Amino acid sequence: MPRDLREPDTPSNTVSYFVREAFRRIWVTKRTSFVAVAMIAMSLFILGGFVLVADNMERAVERWQGKSHVNVFLDIEAAPDQIRAVDGFLASHPDLHTRHFVTRAQALERFKTYFVNLSQVVDQLDENPFPASFEVEVTPRIIQSPGFPAEMKALRSMSGVEQVQFDWEWLNRLRRLIDIVNAVGLTAGGILAVAAAFTIANVIRLTMLTYREEIEIMRLVGATERIIRGPFLIEGILQGAIGGFVAVGLLFGTFVLAQRLLAPSNSLLWSFLFIGFLPWQKIAALIAGGMLAGWIGSWLSVRERVTEEA
Amino acid sequence: MIHFYHVTKKFDLYSTALQDVTFHVEKGEFVFLTGASGAGKSTLLKLILRQIRPTEGQIVVNGRNLNAMKRNHLPFFRREIGMVFQDFKLIERMTVFENLSFILTVLNVAPREHKKKAYQVLRAVNLHHKLNAYPPQLSGGEQQRVAIARALINDPLVLIADEPTGNLDPDLAQEIMQIFGDAHLRGSTVLLATHDRDLIQVSGRRTLVLDQGRLIEEKPAVVERPARTDGVFGLS
Repeated sequence: MPRDLREPDTPSNTVSYFVREAFRRIWVTKRTSFVAVAMIAMSLFILGGFVLVADNMERAVERWQGKSHVNVFLDIEAAPDQIRAVDGFLASHPDLHTRHFVTRAQALERFKTYFVNLSQVVDQLDENPFPASFEVEVTPRIIQSPGFPAEMKALRSMSGVEQVQFDWEWLNRLRRLIDIVNAVGLTAGGILAVAAAFTIANVIRLTMLTYREEIEIMRLVGATERIIRGPFLIEGILQGAIGGFVAVGLLFGTFVLAQRLLAPSNSLLWSFLFIGFLPWQKIAALIAGGMLAGWIGSWLSVRERVTEEA
Repeated sequence: MIHFYHVTKKFDLYSTALQDVTFHVEKGEFVFLTGASGAGKSTLLKLILRQIRPTEGQIVVNGRNLNAMKRNHLPFFRREIGMVFQDFKLIERMTVFENLSFILTVLNVAPREHKKKAYQVLRAVNLHHKLNAYPPQLSGGEQQRVAIARALINDPLVLIADEPTGNLDPDLAQEIMQIFGDAHLRGSTVLLATHDRDLIQVSGRRTLVLDQGRLIEEKPAVVERPARTDGVFGLS
């Protein structure tokens, strides 16, 4: 009676064989493998760059969202009575009573701190151009309340008030910008990831051509398709993983370098872009994305090859 | 063990490699397959390994109908057959040991056993001192013996060889034949394709003669068949 041929094909030592072979094949075809790894690294670097910018903007929004401000700028020539009236108005409204008065001199000092390079220009002026203001802390819930626009309108119409600004609109704009950054990043990164997957597919195809004779021998001595395909699939995944690690490394290097070069002192303009590097979950997702692209690429060529042989 | 029923193999309309071939090789037999170049010997061996399919007829090997065999069963079927190819088909980038170790990986033999088993089988073909050599560093005869060692490592039920003594000097050919004889004594069914008539005559084994794709003669054996014993390499 012949033995059952449907025995499970799960050799315990095949996984180590797959990994060993995959590393060896990457080394043998190092030039083409380098192209595949570079493609993956480049696409993940671009995608990661967008994610990093969006992530920092998101964090900035979260910070500001927690304590949004309404800035009530007063006339440069506002009389003390008018200032007291505005203060009284704010104090009488429970939603607006957490306030802080910024004098003209304080406003000038702040400007000099934020924009170090422009401080000399300001010093050359005859007169302090900055108005005094009230900074009113409000929560997002208050800003979105139905009575808030009326309160702002009343405030604007008071004598001695030059302008009323609140950053909620600005935050909304920033949110839309984050969405755009995310969308652009995902689109560009996605397109490049697809291109990288196809590059890996071609690299694996070349490797398979190199090993064509060997694959035939393997088939003849009883190797299953799983054993034959395994090292190629692992090769693709490894290339993707290496590309992912390279991308994260480059991204971190660029981030640290940019932080040093572009964010001196407390420059408001840049500081919100450098709150921090990507959280580990997003780093892991980037590397996993590289591995996925590698796996898809190698699977495409392995599948094609098997179909050819069928 | 090997049964051909009216097997015809055509590669195209004008070339018929085998024409209505019927024969049976029983378990434990040692059979020669002979004929001039182009007689269809290699085609017949490829059919046994199911490298190719017959155009007509049925082939049964070790109780399995190859025509009905599913593609995913093929690797497991091939593991029961030890095949020595005419061109050896050794993996050149692998050492002798790695060529054998790969088969053991396929057979799910624990890695710690690989060296021991490879050494045993190489000792049987008197090549244990070449464990770490690469095939291109070996002579034709040595490569042939590595190919035989690879075929033997699984103690196969069926051992098939395509011109295993081709291009070898008579002494070496005799040595190779001795290895096949030993495998036969251990119980493997052996089918050996060769055009070396002297070799066949000396052995006195049963012989199938092919000519232009037809089986034209069957010469009976003049020696007794041995009974199968347990595999020497412990993998049967």
